[in-house]
Amino acid sequence: MTEQVYTVASDSETTGEDKSQLSFPDVAIGIDIGTSNCSVAVWTGHQVELLKNTRNQKGMRSYVMFKDDTLSAGVTGGAAREHGHEERDILSGSAIFNMKRLIGRMDTDEVVQASKSLPFLVQTLGIGVRPFIAALVNNMWRSTTPEEVLAIFLLELKALVEMHLKHPVRNAVLTIPVAFSRFQQTRIERACAMAGLHVLRLMPEPTAIALLYAQQQQQLLHDNMGSGIEKIALIFNMGAGYCDAAVTATAGGVSQIRALSGSTVGGEDILQNVMRNLLPDFDSLYAGQTMDRIKSIGLLRMATQDAIHKLAAQEHVEISVDLGGSHKVSKILSHGEFEKVNQSIFEKCEGIIKQCLADAKLAREDINDVILVGGCSRIPKIRSVVLGLCKKDDSYGGIDPLEAAVSGAALEGAIASGVTDPSGSLDLLTIQATPMNLGIRADGGNFAAIIPRNTAVPARRDMLFTTTHDNQTEALIAVYEGEGKQAEDNHLLGYFKITGIPAAAKGTVELNVCMDIDAANVLRVFAGVVKPQGQAVPPFIEVRMPTLDDGHGWCGQALAKMYGSTLDLATLPKKLHP
Amino acid sequence: MICAPLGVVFSPRAPAVGYRARKIRCAVAAAPAGIGGGAGGSTLYDVLGLRAGATVREIKAAYRRLARERHPDVAGAPPAAADDFIRLHDAYATLSDPDSRARYDRDVVVVAAMACGGGGAHYRPTTPPAAAPRWYGGASSRRPRRTWETDQCW
Repeated sequence: MTEQVYTVASDSETTGEDKSQLSFPDVAIGIDIGTSNCSVAVWTGHQVELLKNTRNQKGMRSYVMFKDDTLSAGVTGGAAREHGHEERDILSGSAIFNMKRLIGRMDTDEVVQASKSLPFLVQTLGIGVRPFIAALVNNMWRSTTPEEVLAIFLLELKALVEMHLKHPVRNAVLTIPVAFSRFQQTRIERACAMAGLHVLRLMPEPTAIALLYAQQQQQLLHDNMGSGIEKIALIFNMGAGYCDAAVTATAGGVSQIRALSGSTVGGEDILQNVMRNLLPDFDSLYAGQTMDRIKSIGLLRMATQDAIHKLAAQEHVEISVDLGGSHKVSKILSHGEFEKVNQSIFEKCEGIIKQCLADAKLAREDINDVILVGGCSRIPKIRSVVLGLCKKDDSYGGIDPLEAAVSGAALEGAIASGVTDPSGSLDLLTIQATPMNLGIRADGGNFAAIIPRNTAVPARRDMLFTTTHDNQTEALIAVYEGEGKQAEDNHLLGYFKITGIPAAAKGTVELNVCMDIDAANVLRVFAGVVKPQGQAVPPFIEVRMPTLDDGHGWCGQALAKMYGSTLDLATLPKKLHP
Repeated sequence: MICAPLGVVFSPRAPAVGYRARKIRCAVAAAPAGIGGGAGGSTLYDVLGLRAGATVREIKAAYRRLARERHPDVAGAPPAAADDFIRLHDAYATLSDPDSRARYDRDVVVVAAMACGGGGAHYRPTTPPAAAPRWYGGASSRRPRRTWETDQCW
């Protein structure tokens, strides 16, 4: 791919980057930062290798421990020694985790609200500002941010790779959930920049798995075991924080992402549902984090996690834990009860898959392989829901559910860095698709989607709009991303005004708004007047999105209140496809 | 993509300093012409290098082969690869779906008929987008309405 200059980095850093890239052409590494676990992989010249930390782990816990003046992430394992002790440490209030769920979210977000029961401080005001997050250090709350936490463990992952490769690394391909907004993507890029990493690509997790699958299919073909006919795979990935599905059509090393869908349901929700089932007065008991409540919530989490893991293999599990004070939990949890309390989660998983198949215009009979990955894919009910929907007896076997995403990211890293392999194992192409609709606010608060979801990338679409008032000389272009019919239900990415529109009767001036997504997934919006023409119209405006750094909620509401009606635009639907 | 209301050519000014120096042409009229329109006069089949009666399998195979040459991610792709790929993908998207392909094929007939009759002075050749081209009334009322017979021909 062509060389891209990373915009988060400062100018001096950018010029430095060019030099370092010349001196050693490094291959981008693959990183999977999960809500609960993270891993890193590199292309060794002929295959992908997952790196292990000093404690021989490939999948490392995603947390940062705050102690006195030192910070340490789960990559090195910090000061913790043996396993049981470590888990207790992580849940003691001094460690921050689950930041992939919180990054780039405002405190009105239900995911942030649900995170208030974590054993560290997540404070919300519920007005659309960033939540306040803090860890317990020497009995005091020390504030931090999701970006800082992610940057610390990215830094440790980077150090791990550099130790292994014995040369500095700069470029990385990271996997992200399908449900991540473009704003959240910029926060991930920010965290990477803080860790000294340049993001070459952010890949939706199931597309990284699709790439790995495409490579395996190519390999089968080389070994004369494949037929070369297009194979359709449904990929379902569910981790601790997010759940995604994708449909990919693979043949001849080209995988085309036919549809993507995702949601913020994950293992964390399952865990919380079970905790609430074990302790019905959970919310009133743990409102306000005092020292003994944090300790107690940590004990409950540990016992619940353990029980859920055991339930994957057995019919019942006995939970007996003393939570301190006068609170004790002693209960036998059966499969039936577990499935009942998590009914809504399984329904959401079904919904995601159904939507994905509908968007790909495929029936379940068309699916050749079902690929189940992510930590939650071990839960029997999740397996039966997905396989049942796809009418399959078993899932695709050639992919490790916990290592697939990072392996795919490392493969993409090698391909995007221009590495070629004589055996042809990197002779692959993924045609990505947009996970969400992109459009602008028009017709009085409605959302006019210009690039619909599941459009192949690179993409470029445009739409014509007209003025809503006589002699309207200015128009507001507010760019949103999401699935809602109303603009306010979606994520605001940025906004700008078109000024100097020639005065005319309403509905006579034509404005063109064009959206362009390049192969590196950068979104640009172009807008201007196309009718009338001539010297009397303003120049077009090009804006790279997102432009907002914070506070979408406030901003969108303020825009709507101040300019919603005066600077509104109306769609010219018949001109969409002249 | 592609509204070419009045053939406005729009190309952005020189990129700002400190910004990625990649040129983008906004689609407005730089976009490829579809049915019989524009300089190329090429059909979607031409974009894929196929004849009009190509099978679905041929269309898919041609798309994959060309994507491996034209996708901007392919090593050594020219700067205009994105435009090329978008054109290729739109052709594929229209022709790989039986409904939109039927509509497209019918449009080709209509254009051919209009061209022969010479009556369609105000007819603007359309560029078929990824989604189905739409029939619409109003200004283009000279355009013949869809008839059952044309459906039958195809």
